[in-house]
Amino acid sequence: MLESLLALGGLVLLRDSVEWEGRSLLKALVKKSALCGEQVHVLGCEVSEEEFREGFDSSINNRLVYHDLFRDPLSWSKPGKALPGGPLEALRALDKRTGSGPATIALDSLSWLLHHLPCPILCQTLHALSRQDSCPGDTLPGEQVRVLGLLHEELHGPGPLGALSSLAQTEVTLSGTMGQASAHILYRRPRQRPTLQTQWFSILPDFSLELQVEPLLESQPPSDLHTPSVDPTTHLTFNLHLSKKEREAKDSLTLPFQFSSEKQQALLRPGLGQATSHIFYEPDAYDDLDQEDPDDDLDV
Amino acid sequence: MAAAGTCGTGTRSTGSMVAAASTNNVTSFQRRGPRASGADSGCSRLVSIAGTRPSVRNGQLLVSTGLPALDQLLGGGLAVGTVLLIEEDKYNIYSPLLFKYFLAEGIVSGHALLVASAKEDPADILQKLPAPLIDDSYKKECDEDVCSHKMEPDIKMKIAWRYQLLPKMEAGPVSSSRFGHYYDISKRIPQELIETSKWHGFFLPEKISSAFNVESCSLTPGYMKLLQFIQNIIYKEGFDGSNPQKKQKNILRIGIQNLGSPLWGDDICCTENCDTSHSLTKFLYILRGLLRTSLSACIITMPTHLIQNKAVIARVTNLSDTVVGLESFIGSEKETNPLYKDYHGLIHIRQIPRLNNLIYDISDVKDLAFKLKKKLFTIESLLRAPTLFLPQVVSFARGCQRPS
Repeated sequence: MLESLLALGGLVLLRDSVEWEGRSLLKALVKKSALCGEQVHVLGCEVSEEEFREGFDSSINNRLVYHDLFRDPLSWSKPGKALPGGPLEALRALDKRTGSGPATIALDSLSWLLHHLPCPILCQTLHALSRQDSCPGDTLPGEQVRVLGLLHEELHGPGPLGALSSLAQTEVTLSGTMGQASAHILYRRPRQRPTLQTQWFSILPDFSLELQVEPLLESQPPSDLHTPSVDPTTHLTFNLHLSKKEREAKDSLTLPFQFSSEKQQALLRPGLGQATSHIFYEPDAYDDLDQEDPDDDLDV
Repeated sequence: MAAAGTCGTGTRSTGSMVAAASTNNVTSFQRRGPRASGADSGCSRLVSIAGTRPSVRNGQLLVSTGLPALDQLLGGGLAVGTVLLIEEDKYNIYSPLLFKYFLAEGIVSGHALLVASAKEDPADILQKLPAPLIDDSYKKECDEDVCSHKMEPDIKMKIAWRYQLLPKMEAGPVSSSRFGHYYDISKRIPQELIETSKWHGFFLPEKISSAFNVESCSLTPGYMKLLQFIQNIIYKEGFDGSNPQKKQKNILRIGIQNLGSPLWGDDICCTENCDTSHSLTKFLYILRGLLRTSLSACIITMPTHLIQNKAVIARVTNLSDTVVGLESFIGSEKETNPLYKDYHGLIHIRQIPRLNNLIYDISDVKDLAFKLKKKLFTIESLLRAPTLFLPQVVSFARGCQRPS
């Protein structure tokens, strides 16, 4: 699952909520891309650096480049800096830094950035980050820059959520039932129909992913709670069912206007018992019994 | 007889007098303006621009949108000087197709293009345009012309012998005077067509400096820059008649992609009550003013499903001329509805302009659906003949058959 999430490139949006947290999935993705040998930049805003690095072994920690915005977001401890936008400058610096080779940028929380920056500015910066501006045309999958963004969907209204979803190439919504986490993944490949996939998973303490089977629902499915469907053929004043004998009789009945072989035989050879129909005709006084064809007089 | 003879001579003499008079230019009937040279149309002074035609209903000059089916639904085509607004579908798959059709039609008809986008580089957009479909016979004929250039026609035309005297049209490979062409989406447009066309691109991240300064004017800086760019192009290239052009008049086709999305710097999709809520509506108003005074037509795709304030959508619809909405079935419950199983989405014609007219040009069919096949984008009516009776009709016929 992690490979497919990282394969598309662009912006990968991880939407989590209070019940199903997404930071562990983010760390699993970071670990995966670090193991692939890529450069990983982490912009940490919500948790401290020690907490983020916890659980990673030293090889991965050496690959991680951590930009800390948690300790001093408004740069009070460095009074010489006159830059107005702390987080924005940090994002733009990330854009300039990843000039060569494939890289992964993990934004520890897009929610934090959304609260500190106007949404259009953030969208434009994210778009510039995830775009490959060096190579024209289609770039190789290995050369892409991946931006992993963690978004707490309960903190925002439908506007920013919709705006960020429209920018994302992959969108993962975390949910679950009965202690088992699931991810609804929406892949938006360019020029193709978006595909939706649901994957049940769990994250192990060393931040590797383990896929799970969908848990069997022990409770009754809700459709049984409905009233059983009423059979409309009961309590009728007429009989809708045929017994076997009746059905046989019905099948063997020939319809009156159906030309069957018996009728053909009857017509060809009039039987003894059958009286052929006769026409009895009494001519009236006014009837013209002239057998000649009146059209014979016409001189045509 | 004699009288006739004298009359005849009389007329002959008057004829010669008239002839003499016309050579001396004494007649009061003067042809105004310079004489059209023989190579041009010559007959009429009406300059007809390639790729346009007058509407049959009100004489308005129309351009094709690239989809002949859509042209028919809009009453013949898109009127020059108006805005076509496409409301994007949820995952933005089908609206870029209509955008590309419009631009490809411009290239094939020889119009000038202006492509503006905040998401993609306009050069990349132009590379991905669909290839036009040319008739095989026409293609073969063009190949033969290329091989045997300037060959005297040996075959004498017996019935249409007058046409032999007309000069042969030196037409390029695809340039045709037809209105509305068909395109093959699976193929890209040939590179030489793009190179011969005249296009201007506006890519927002290049034009906007990275300074994070809040402008005090009412328009978002992105919109302001785009309007200035469009105005500049219209003035420089003379589409508004400011520079009297010696060469043939041409149409400017403007295409703006994803207008109103946060990538343009507009937060109309992010919040419900935003400070710059009038930025988009002002932009459309000024753009329409620019278009009305020039020979141009514009297509805009807008993600209206993201706009939070419904009043803004209504205002935007009123400020545009023609509005077409796309609704795709992906992800909605209509995907499993058996009624829609053959189609990929619905197309709604939300507004049609009433230009120099008292009545609207609305087509009778209102339930329209679209389907994206491998090579073609088709629009069809949803109304079908009822299929309920069909099996019974077949069995009835079978029952009536008599073995002969």
